[in-house]
Amino acid sequence: MKDSLRTFFVMIELELRRLRHDRTELYFRAVQPILWIVIYGPVMSSVRAIPTGDTPYTDFITPGVLIQSTTFLSIFYGLMMVWERDSGILKKLLVTPASRYATVIGRSMASGVRAIFQGLIIIPVALLIGVKFIPNIAYFASAFVIIFFASGGFAAISILVASFMKTRERFMGIGQAIIMPLFFASNALYPIQMMPQILRDFSAVNPLSYVVDAVRGLLITGDLTNLLIDVAAIVIFDVVMFIVASISFKRIIE
Amino acid sequence: MEAAVDVKKLVKVYNGKIRALDGIDLSVEAGVAFALLGPNGAGKTTLIRILTTQLRPTSGDAYVFGLNVTREGSKIRRLVSYVPQEMSVWTDVSGYENLLVYAKIFGIASQERKKTIFEALDSMGLSEVANNLVKTYSGGMVRRLEIACALLIKPKIMFLDEPTIGLDPAAKQVVWEKLSSFKKEYGVTIFFNTHYMDEADLYSDNIAIIDRGKIVKKGTADELKRSLQGEVISFSFQGNSIKEESIQKLRKLSSTRDVIVDKSELNVLVEDAETALPMVMETLRVEGISAEKISITKPTLDDVFLKYAGTRLETSGRISEVTHVRDMIRRG
Repeated sequence: MKDSLRTFFVMIELELRRLRHDRTELYFRAVQPILWIVIYGPVMSSVRAIPTGDTPYTDFITPGVLIQSTTFLSIFYGLMMVWERDSGILKKLLVTPASRYATVIGRSMASGVRAIFQGLIIIPVALLIGVKFIPNIAYFASAFVIIFFASGGFAAISILVASFMKTRERFMGIGQAIIMPLFFASNALYPIQMMPQILRDFSAVNPLSYVVDAVRGLLITGDLTNLLIDVAAIVIFDVVMFIVASISFKRIIE
Repeated sequence: MEAAVDVKKLVKVYNGKIRALDGIDLSVEAGVAFALLGPNGAGKTTLIRILTTQLRPTSGDAYVFGLNVTREGSKIRRLVSYVPQEMSVWTDVSGYENLLVYAKIFGIASQERKKTIFEALDSMGLSEVANNLVKTYSGGMVRRLEIACALLIKPKIMFLDEPTIGLDPAAKQVVWEKLSSFKKEYGVTIFFNTHYMDEADLYSDNIAIIDRGKIVKKGTADELKRSLQGEVISFSFQGNSIKEESIQKLRKLSSTRDVIVDKSELNVLVEDAETALPMVMETLRVEGISAEKISITKPTLDDVFLKYAGTRLETSGRISEVTHVRDMIRRG
């Protein structure tokens, strides 16, 4: 247990060290969400086609595109695991006292570190164009904790998918194919009430919706009525994904 | 004395059809350097991966210092270090940070960490580049870093999968001098796979030749060479292959012990090359085979390998392939 916990924290530390040396990836990945906030948001809000209540449309989608970009980042983090299978790093990690679960969870949660830094790049841009955040440090901190843990779960999905993939090239397409449905069939860009019933049903099992709802409540609307349900959904999502990913991990190493 | 590695009737079948290991029996004494030689796909890497608890055997038993690889994996993982054939370091952090991560995973106490890491880096001649990113290292430096990482925990046994692949001869020698002194100083057992015959010859105490999942021959380098009992006359040909009946005729000669054909090379094993040569030459002339080059050699480990595994190790092609892949990974 001690070994596993240590491995977990070392993986987080490794990610911080990586980021200290090179953050270019984060800057490039920030371009897309920034375009959503800077261009798509204001254009759509001038049309007033989407009813978002008292919240300006750009403010409404800011948490959505933020989560989309961190989810994207986490999903592609699985690519790194495939990469590590190609090289010998995973094999070497397996021959250490750390358990396989700690390795899987540690590597997954390391993507959360990246996600937090991604958020720290996007939020100032949103502030600049006038998105109004709730000025409460505790709310911000909670939102980032949620992003951190949710990212771990999404990275675990990608580990699961990566375990079926033999080549890196194939994974790129699959990554897109997972993320886009999750994004569009969620409450990231429009309220769930606007969707046809079938998409509403999907949204109810879409982990992205819960993450967006929680973060939107904490950062923009201050509406925390669903927060407990959201957090519970994220916890269940993480636990299930970590277990499944750890099992599928066996396939990765053979 | 307790065996460092003890393997009994070990079988590994992948996906229910590929029989990578087909009943391996093997015992390695503690404190020796042990070389496992074999062609591609012979099962060398699979055996190392089972012994390092990464894979479970399909049947049979394997023990490392008396610990069962399936049931006592976590205890084994504290005693061993492992260098895979593939690149196994993070290239986007420094050499020091790579070792730091493993030092922490293995729970080396924080006050000793820095000293231990620099000792390991120093022994591989890397202390000056410790804080440079690994992606700026040469292929040889990366390999040395990986070995430094394996030295970090002062293991009881080290499993090295092609430890000096892609290194130039000077770097190869440095690595082996360090490994040998490490073996002497701490009594660490070294279990390695290699394609370099000279490496197995020079640096191993014991050798096993593995082919198609089976150990075909075991012994020291000298024992193996002596087991051939004789000398080799080699003929090289251009192009056309040799007919089976010509080989049979050569075999029937009183002075030949064995005849081995490997692509465009014919090897005739004889007790004494000088007396056997005229007869062999005559037979070849009658068969209408003219050789481009004829040479006489006392047996080397290469011949031993050829005899027991039935093929030469395709060293150069194989190494350039692995080196190429490692280079690609390093550059990203």
